[in-house]
Amino acid sequence: LLLLVVALVASLMLFPIYWMVMTAIMPSEMILSRNPSLVPDPSRFSLASFYAVFESGSYLRWLLYSIIVALCSTLASMVIAFLAGYSLSRWTTPSHQFLGGSLLISKIIPGALIIIPFFVVYVQFGLIDSYLGLVLVNMTIGVPLATWMLKGFIDRIPQEIDQVAKLDGCSEFQLLRLVIIPLSAPGLAAVSIYLVIVSWSEFIFARTLMQSEEKRVLTVGLQSFMGEHLVDWPHLMAAGTISLLPLIVLFVVLEPFLVSGMTKGSLAN
Amino acid sequence: MGSSVRRRKIFGYLLLAPAVAVVVLLILYPLLQTVELSFRQGRSMSLSQIRNLPIGLANYGYVLSDAAFWNSLRVSLWYVTLSMGIAFLTGLSTAMLLNQKVPLRRLWRTAILIPWAVPGVIASIIFVWMFDGSYGVVNAVLRTLGVFESGPNWFIDRNTALVAMIIPTAWKAYPLITLSLLAAMQSIPDELYEAARSDGANRFQLFSHITWPGIRSVAMLVSLISALWIMRDVDINLATTRGGPSRSTETLALYVYNEAFQNFRIGPAAAAGTLMIVVAMMITIVSVWAIRRDKF
Repeated sequence: LLLLVVALVASLMLFPIYWMVMTAIMPSEMILSRNPSLVPDPSRFSLASFYAVFESGSYLRWLLYSIIVALCSTLASMVIAFLAGYSLSRWTTPSHQFLGGSLLISKIIPGALIIIPFFVVYVQFGLIDSYLGLVLVNMTIGVPLATWMLKGFIDRIPQEIDQVAKLDGCSEFQLLRLVIIPLSAPGLAAVSIYLVIVSWSEFIFARTLMQSEEKRVLTVGLQSFMGEHLVDWPHLMAAGTISLLPLIVLFVVLEPFLVSGMTKGSLAN
Repeated sequence: MGSSVRRRKIFGYLLLAPAVAVVVLLILYPLLQTVELSFRQGRSMSLSQIRNLPIGLANYGYVLSDAAFWNSLRVSLWYVTLSMGIAFLTGLSTAMLLNQKVPLRRLWRTAILIPWAVPGVIASIIFVWMFDGSYGVVNAVLRTLGVFESGPNWFIDRNTALVAMIIPTAWKAYPLITLSLLAAMQSIPDELYEAARSDGANRFQLFSHITWPGIRSVAMLVSLISALWIMRDVDINLATTRGGPSRSTETLALYVYNEAFQNFRIGPAAAAGTLMIVVAMMITIVSVWAIRRDKF
């Protein structure tokens, strides 16, 4: 009975995603029916909407831009956050921890607000429509988040290992490169995935800073469909499915680390 | 020896320096600029001239006498409270379910947490489609159950739009709560439950005397973090209703955004945003103080 309840709850929570996929593969006369069947007849499924999405050049372009922005934002944030996370884990003087705590201020700043000064400055320096500009703004979210999550992971590497490595003649840099990085590799992977998901989802910055139509990223592109008077739902749902699929795969990989990483990272302090 | 200790200390700060630079240059400095912009009164044709405007409180006067600002404050209050309430109850009940010894627990946990990874824009698209007035699956199900004949046009009707917007928000917010509460529940030792059961405690007593005290501080903390997220997020708001119809779903964060980028009133937007941060800071400080006091 317990199993049944859990299964029921899980399917209820996942129903929106299920329905998105169903809408993408159902023929349109079934979609535009007053009483759609919750479990449509599989023999009538078609992948036509997916072909249509891939044939429209703009979707592939959005996808590519989203991938580039996500990878650059993640890489840039990770390098900075790894050093900071290590630093916060091993140096525990009050002034040090105060500096670390100041990173958390990003938690209360609305994206809709912080984007205003960025917009004003970017207009003056011609950074509107520049992916570099977008990556910089994304780092305001990525760096603080990743720093605290990585601190949690690095905390679990015993400090005795550092001492032993030092006695063996490791310099500070060698210690980082030969000991800390390999030992925190799972943490680094988990936090990177987390940041890719965050950057992939980011909407408000990209919408505001990427003004020209041909520079849109995925979330902005998908949303632009919604403003149209007649929305082509199967097409949009197919596009949504393709956009979401990589995230779900990444999430399943990430999930075992989340319990420790996310709760420590976002709840610490 | 002394110099090597000092060198090590400097090295520690060097490692932290890039992150602090990001915070100072990309968060604190823009934030100060926002505060400055909020005092620059009058209109300017070009953004590069905006910082030559005279200093004054006109933007704050404008915002505080703008009915739309107070309206957005009210909308935000409802939006945050109701989304948070639904998300918390969902998170608590799913955490309690997953805390049971159920087969394939790992699989269920992953499944129940997935909505967290869905981008706000995609969640918005899905829910707008599901809650479509004519072809939406939600109305179809409700019609079949005999709740009504035709059903509302959820996101377009001003009486239901806010409710419709709350649902995807809660859907995206509950997994973090589930995850945190589950972790807290699993750190409660089983012996406590066994001892209470042998004393004849019922399920409700087990919850109120053992589970709840064990998860309370985590529950308060995760509620604070989720509420702050819901308060500052505009993705779902912007991708579903854009604040409409007739501002009935315009939250405070969206008011700030619309003032700046739709009405091109940068000064008032900065003023409203500054007020919003002050409120968020006060809420945070009071809550953190309450949580700390509760803990020790």
